[in-house]
Amino acid sequence: MRNDRRSFLKLSAAGAAALSAMSTGATLSGCTSGAPATGMKVLRPEDVELLRALIPAVMKGKITPDDSAAIDQTLESFDTLMDDLSDLVIEGVQQAFDVLSFGPTRALTTGQWASWSKASLEDAESALGRLRDSRIGLLNAIYAAMIRLIVSAWYLIPENAATAGYPGPPKKVADTRPSAGPIGGVAP
Amino acid sequence: MTDLSTITLGSSTDPYNDAAARGWSITDASALSSPLELEADVVIVGTGAGGGTAAETLSATGLSVVLLEAGPLKTSSKFDMQERAAYRDLYQEGTGRGTKDGGMVILQGRSVGGSTTVNWTTSFRTPPETLKFWAEHMGVSGCSVEEMEPFFEHMENRLNIHEWPEAPNPNNAMLQRAAEKLGYSWAKIHRNVRGCLNLGYCGLGCPVDAKQSMLTTTIPAALNNKAKLVHHARVVRILREGDAVVGVEAEALTPNVRSTTGQRITIRATKTVLAGGAINTPAILLRSGAPDPHGRIGKRTFLHPTTLTMAIYDEAIDPFYGAPQSIYSDHFQWQGVHTGPINFKLEVPPLQPAFAAGFYSAAGEELTRSMDQLNKTQCMIALLRDGFHEQSQGGTVEIDDRGRPLLDYPLDDYLLEGVKRAWKVMVEMQFVTGAKSVRPAHKQARHYTSWKEAKEAMAALEIVPHKVTVGSAHVMGGCPMGDDEARSVTDCDGKFRHWDNLYVMDGSLFPTSIGANPQLSIYGLVYKLSSNLAAGFRA
Repeated sequence: MRNDRRSFLKLSAAGAAALSAMSTGATLSGCTSGAPATGMKVLRPEDVELLRALIPAVMKGKITPDDSAAIDQTLESFDTLMDDLSDLVIEGVQQAFDVLSFGPTRALTTGQWASWSKASLEDAESALGRLRDSRIGLLNAIYAAMIRLIVSAWYLIPENAATAGYPGPPKKVADTRPSAGPIGGVAP
Repeated sequence: MTDLSTITLGSSTDPYNDAAARGWSITDASALSSPLELEADVVIVGTGAGGGTAAETLSATGLSVVLLEAGPLKTSSKFDMQERAAYRDLYQEGTGRGTKDGGMVILQGRSVGGSTTVNWTTSFRTPPETLKFWAEHMGVSGCSVEEMEPFFEHMENRLNIHEWPEAPNPNNAMLQRAAEKLGYSWAKIHRNVRGCLNLGYCGLGCPVDAKQSMLTTTIPAALNNKAKLVHHARVVRILREGDAVVGVEAEALTPNVRSTTGQRITIRATKTVLAGGAINTPAILLRSGAPDPHGRIGKRTFLHPTTLTMAIYDEAIDPFYGAPQSIYSDHFQWQGVHTGPINFKLEVPPLQPAFAAGFYSAAGEELTRSMDQLNKTQCMIALLRDGFHEQSQGGTVEIDDRGRPLLDYPLDDYLLEGVKRAWKVMVEMQFVTGAKSVRPAHKQARHYTSWKEAKEAMAALEIVPHKVTVGSAHVMGGCPMGDDEARSVTDCDGKFRHWDNLYVMDGSLFPTSIGANPQLSIYGLVYKLSSNLAAGFRA
């Protein structure tokens, strides 16, 4: 038992190193273009293709795969969110995208052999489940980053936040002064 | 609770709107078209709890002060309580900052006022247990409870820190009720607010200047004392002549703070004070090639690694509204100061929707069905007290090949055991107060519908980094003060050991974590250190 555990740990470490190397390879070999997709500030064409598949799975119950308007709106919010991060964080997220988009690592890590544009909702859910349940920490980390970004992007859209029973913040009279305190004197 | 979206706030009395009339010197470095050179008695790097306190203290004695801030100047009249703008403008790396392996998310402020602009106003003096441990084990002198008393008292008066007199919001009340049911100790939280409207948006920038942050208190006072503030200015390195520090060199950042404009900023000063927080301060020393014979710079950086459990009740909780933190429990905090398993403090966080969703650690219907009931959701957090036990050595601040800071802080078994133990405590607290379902922050967890089911399920969860969700809003240490040269980066006056005229005055001085939300610990210590610096300035 102990031996099994030890050899498994080695495999994990080797797997993680290989993934890092392949991710770098994906970038260096030009599999990802680096330039943002049309209409996007940060997201590249491959990222958009990946996210179109993942968004309905992560937001199941809110977005169906055929609801392209909701997917587009979430993509736009995701792109804006990415643009608000630092270069260092953007680089890290793009490396995660590379692992999931580059054919060999995509298949190895998510079981998605065809391109993301051909993935069904079930394929995307299965891929997310594999990343989440993997024994390889790097894949768990990629899963954590993907779901945090996607759900944040969706709930950052005010009308979506309302579905959480959140009426929204108080309104604010901009740039008038000075009258500290609420107009109408409402105190919760 | 009132639906706050139906009320309209008047604009606050934002003092920065009248900056010109007040004669304040504020420079937006992103707009510079030529290099900027300034001279001062003191240059202070950073405008958070440390920099703000030092700026007021030093400028009040007539010293000329320049304050540098890498982030933007955003003030109350622009705070609209929307999550997106706040996370973009007011947080380091747009809330994307994390530890090197992505195992922990780090929430740290980055605008004028630093983290005090976005913190939840919770104010604790440094616990006596912590000060005693520093004196007995970490070689810290001059910081006993009695010696610190007048400095805490001064800052409490300055920032109107007082026990929150209003009823806790339901999110906090549930912590109190659970503690009472289970016989755990609890107490009310002290807050640095004046005229607080109990809205709940402290984390997105107080819209009415009720929070007594550095943005609204010490920095305006320093500006009144003729201090000069330069924002969008990121310090690259410390300037020296031999072993004497003579100021700093900074680079101007673009309006979105992502890139440099190419303009240089040079501040020559008799004394230089680093107060960039416990990630950026060690990084400046590392970028400057500071001597470090014992390898202490950036080591022993602590986070109060924090995990959470979410519970759904039948009743309205509205966890996005009301003073974010008003009740805490230290029942599990001082069971063994530096022996035994890791201890933790229990609090609750405010849950605005994107923040809540981001920390839910779930996807698919597990997430969306849960989030549909956010208005009935209560969240407990446990802040692990790292840095006391010998197995808890914290993380290490490094710089990458471009000089950017990274914090390497692996979640080891000592911490992970604490995560698991804290979940059990918090989940039980939620069930005994009537929660219908509870979910610990584990990627493979579900909402469990009974304490029995939850206990069994949690026992089977794999407690490993990335599968558990752990974050931090308290970065401490990395430039510890102390009398033992081999174990400290500064002496107990905050003076850097290996160069002259260089001081550290922020949370990076702490030799361990605090064991409580750290803002008042920084205020009190920096008020002491900056008073000493001012007194000895021309001696």
